[in-house]
Amino acid sequence: MLQRALHNLDRRLRTAGESAAAHPDWKDRAAAIRRETLLDLDGWLDRLEHSLVARGVHVHRASTPADARRVVVELAQARGARTVVKSKSMATEEIDLGNALEDAGLTSVETDLGEYIVQLAGERPSHMITPAIHKTLPQIRDVLAKEAGTDLAVDREALTAWARDRLRGEFLRADIGITGVNFAAADTGTLVLVTNEGNGRFCTTLPRVHIAVMPVEKVIPRLADAGILLPLLTTHATGQALSNYVTMISGPRRAGEVDGPDELHVVFLDNRRRTLLGTRYEEMLACIRCGACLNVCPVYRNVSGHAYDSVYSGPMGKVLTPLLSGGTEGADLPYGSTLCHACSDACPVKIPLGDMILALRADVPDPHSGARRRRRIFWTVWARAWSTPSGYRLTTALGRVSRGRVPGLQAWTSTRELPRPARESFRDRWAKEHA
Amino acid sequence: MIDVFVAGLRANSCTVSGPMNTDEARATVVERASAHLLVACNDDVPLPALVDGLRQRGVEVLTPGDPAWAERLADAEVGITGARLAVAQPSAIALAAAPGAPRSTSLVPSVHICVVRVDDLLPTLADAMIGVAAGEMPSALTWIGGPSRTGDLEMITTLGVHGPRAVEIVLLD
Ligand code: SF4
Repeated sequence: MLQRALHNLDRRLRTAGESAAAHPDWKDRAAAIRRETLLDLDGWLDRLEHSLVARGVHVHRASTPADARRVVVELAQARGARTVVKSKSMATEEIDLGNALEDAGLTSVETDLGEYIVQLAGERPSHMITPAIHKTLPQIRDVLAKEAGTDLAVDREALTAWARDRLRGEFLRADIGITGVNFAAADTGTLVLVTNEGNGRFCTTLPRVHIAVMPVEKVIPRLADAGILLPLLTTHATGQALSNYVTMISGPRRAGEVDGPDELHVVFLDNRRRTLLGTRYEEMLACIRCGACLNVCPVYRNVSGHAYDSVYSGPMGKVLTPLLSGGTEGADLPYGSTLCHACSDACPVKIPLGDMILALRADVPDPHSGARRRRRIFWTVWARAWSTPSGYRLTTALGRVSRGRVPGLQAWTSTRELPRPARESFRDRWAKEHA
Repeated sequence: MIDVFVAGLRANSCTVSGPMNTDEARATVVERASAHLLVACNDDVPLPALVDGLRQRGVEVLTPGDPAWAERLADAEVGITGARLAVAQPSAIALAAAPGAPRSTSLVPSVHICVVRVDDLLPTLADAMIGVAAGEMPSALTWIGGPSRTGDLEMITTLGVHGPRAVEIVLLD
């Protein structure tokens, strides 16, 4: 399934290769803008805060995910909110905000179609841009039909129409809209949000309060820089010259306006990002979350996003996860790489992901050195067994009998499929046909 | 530049008509909207007497000044707006929120008709953003490239997931 979906994506991305933003010069300009930002991240953040406050926006600084969750939950509780609508955002996934809101007794609804499906299925997104990429249409039907309580056709239009109606109701009911931020311009105090479905527009138009969670590196010096970065982001994310909707928000609803939120809050989320400044991983903060490195990664393409067991997957996840957790999470991820550097080549802002993955192997100790020893023992035994014909026959016969259900492998098979052994070995068939 | 703009919008599943003069544009919009019962119309549409034209054809028109706006917008089948500016590459229109130009007119109804002045068309987004950033920013500036879409179902595009299923651009010269 993932293979087929990625193939569809490949086709679209290839045709997008003709657009201006795919030009190498464009990448150079974008890479330069991102690095200029990182040279004085704190300075740009101060300027951004100043511009936002001047526009009547409330700014909250959160150094840990727990701080960010507390800010949002307290804002919601103080306003007596009951329902929250969310637009897809990696930052809110990173701080696990949905669960925090539910724990505080609020209903939190994901409104991006893919994310909504994943939420109903009780799963986690498997791709940054298309969270339900691992699901087939019949599987999606099953998830939605269960929620609808009626049967639904396995038809793209019909399923979309059902979800549209259901989520419309949620938008109208919601007290608070929560979004991420793609870019935030320090000079004008403008939040830039990119979506295709329009759910982000609903979240920032109908509820009375809008809260945006913004990882600190999203700041850009000037709003004009968005003219370079936006086409680059969307070309590399979905192959579109520009995403369908780009919303530039400069403050809450103004006097006389009939829609838009009365209150706008922005939460600056640090979560160890600023500790990366000045280290060899600083450039990771240039990431614009386009997903290009995932799509080209041979490992990601085979194991899919869930196998990483972290919010950020693929090559950028291998680098970001151990860094943001201080090495307590995803320390083994840098080892799950072929070091082919396809990610470094694909990255539109020229982050040397391959080099960072290699460097992390040295900087973050592998938590699985015990497992590595066990693996070595396994391979030694295997090599012995398969160097004799009788040992080979015995083990493959065992494999056929067990039909691939090997005890002790659940940790592996919960997110990946084990290849099924053939019903009959080639040797047996040969013997039968030539008897 | 107009050709690039039109081609880009069409590639993104928009319908485009014009460039045409004011009378033709008004007639086009009225004709298109007359099949519907309730139409929401922003005050920033650059076509004088449009609302009267629609009412004469028996279409009920909801305007932002109407006290029932918020309550009735969900029933409107068409939303008609103007645009602050447009860019040819990548092809998109930009709508500025203002008292007479709510954000939801281009979001809630199933069909969005946008009247764009050819004079407001700029060659690229990169150029346009320099000008936009130098001026006074509206509370929301929304760039629209086409109908609401999703690729979430097996990466195949489906239109109209949350916002309009159809975007129709009328070019005015
Ligand atoms: S690391 Fe580069 S390619 Fe990967 S998501 Fe970030 S910007 Fe895109």
